[in-house]
Amino acid sequence: MELNGEQLIAAPVSRVWLGLNDVSILHASIPGCEEIERISDEEVRAKVMFKIGPVRARFAGKLILSDIVPDVSCSMAFEGTGGAAGFAKGKARVELIGTESGTLVRYSTEASIGGKLGQIGGRLISASAKKIADDFFLAFAKELGGELITLSDTKVEDKKEE
Amino acid sequence: MKAAAFDYVKAKSLIEAIALLSEHGEDARLIAGGQTLLATLNLRLSEPSILIDITAVSELKGIFVQGNMLRIGALVTHTEIESSDLIAQHAPLLKEAAPHIAHRAIRNLGTWGGSLAYGDPAAEWPACSLALDAIMVIQGPSGARKVSAKDFFIDLYTTTLQVDEILVASEIPLASSNQVHSFQELARRHGDYAAVGLAAMIRTDKGKVQTCRLAFFSVAAIPTMASKAQAFIEGKSIDTALIQRAVNLAREEIETLADITNSQETKTHLLGVLLERALTKMMP
Repeated sequence: MELNGEQLIAAPVSRVWLGLNDVSILHASIPGCEEIERISDEEVRAKVMFKIGPVRARFAGKLILSDIVPDVSCSMAFEGTGGAAGFAKGKARVELIGTESGTLVRYSTEASIGGKLGQIGGRLISASAKKIADDFFLAFAKELGGELITLSDTKVEDKKEE
Repeated sequence: MKAAAFDYVKAKSLIEAIALLSEHGEDARLIAGGQTLLATLNLRLSEPSILIDITAVSELKGIFVQGNMLRIGALVTHTEIESSDLIAQHAPLLKEAAPHIAHRAIRNLGTWGGSLAYGDPAAEWPACSLALDAIMVIQGPSGARKVSAKDFFIDLYTTTLQVDEILVASEIPLASSNQVHSFQELARRHGDYAAVGLAAMIRTDKGKVQTCRLAFFSVAAIPTMASKAQAFIEGKSIDTALIQRAVNLAREEIETLADITNSQETKTHLLGVLLERALTKMMP
């Protein structure tokens, strides 16, 4: 599964970068995040209650960051297991681009999902991932004290790009 | 696999069911027909600590006419809708749609309210409720509220229902004599989830379309109305040239979302095919 998109947040690049690296802001922004802990500069561990439609499963996972260029971009590899429900793993790349009205966050993700979740949830897995990403950015922008500006415009654009 | 352990309570009244929901919050799930929930529990995709059985709650039962509205209780099964004379007379779109829902065994148990509250984007009832301008009657600890179908479905599997609220019934305006409908669905095999579907209704006045509702399902995260195509059709009489324009408009305005077997392009193409079939069928 691939998930690509972009969101415009009404906050300067440096603030968005700090937010993406601040576990307490991530804790408040990631839908269903129950625990999140920074192990080192490159590693983050989290427990997330994944709740969408028929599925309510708790995932424990880790995130390894690489190619970190502060205020510009980073890559990450992630994997998580949700017990009987299944597992997810993949990689993502995030880029921040400063614009007049705020920061454009561009992300591209590749993930594979296995186990029961893959079989049952497969029908709508990309729609679910998109909803989670949208929910995250909405909460994240709010946490930064900014807002998602011209959200509808960017949304339309990124849907067409997918 | 078998479900994880859970408690089970059979609520005797709506008030009791809502009190239980308020008490247990996210840990509780309502069970009526159980056609989605039980599969999910057995696969351990979800492990609620308590199931609240609402099948004995009388306020949620029955199909009846109330003034100029047809009221369908949340517990009414798909089979009851399929065989109800009141439905055939006052909401014939639903009668036509019912056989497309899964298989007989599932229709015998699955419920109207369950399908709506679950909000699967590929399900038939959410789209039909949009096409018929249904009103959802919702009860919570602070009383009852009503929400129109177009405001009820918010996002993928997400409705305006709060964690302590129950969908009690839907109210649908009685079909008028100048009203025609068409239900179209494409699925790989009968009973499968729809690849694309359409619930359509028009009301005509002196040969011109007065009201047009085109509710597509299994095309996006929620059932979706083709509002530009609807507005284009309203006020005109249906002919083949109009149908072609409407098909193009609908294909342009609906941003389809791929699923595991059908790409965006396939869905966009198919929704036009279904719209052409529906409008041709409804053409006087």
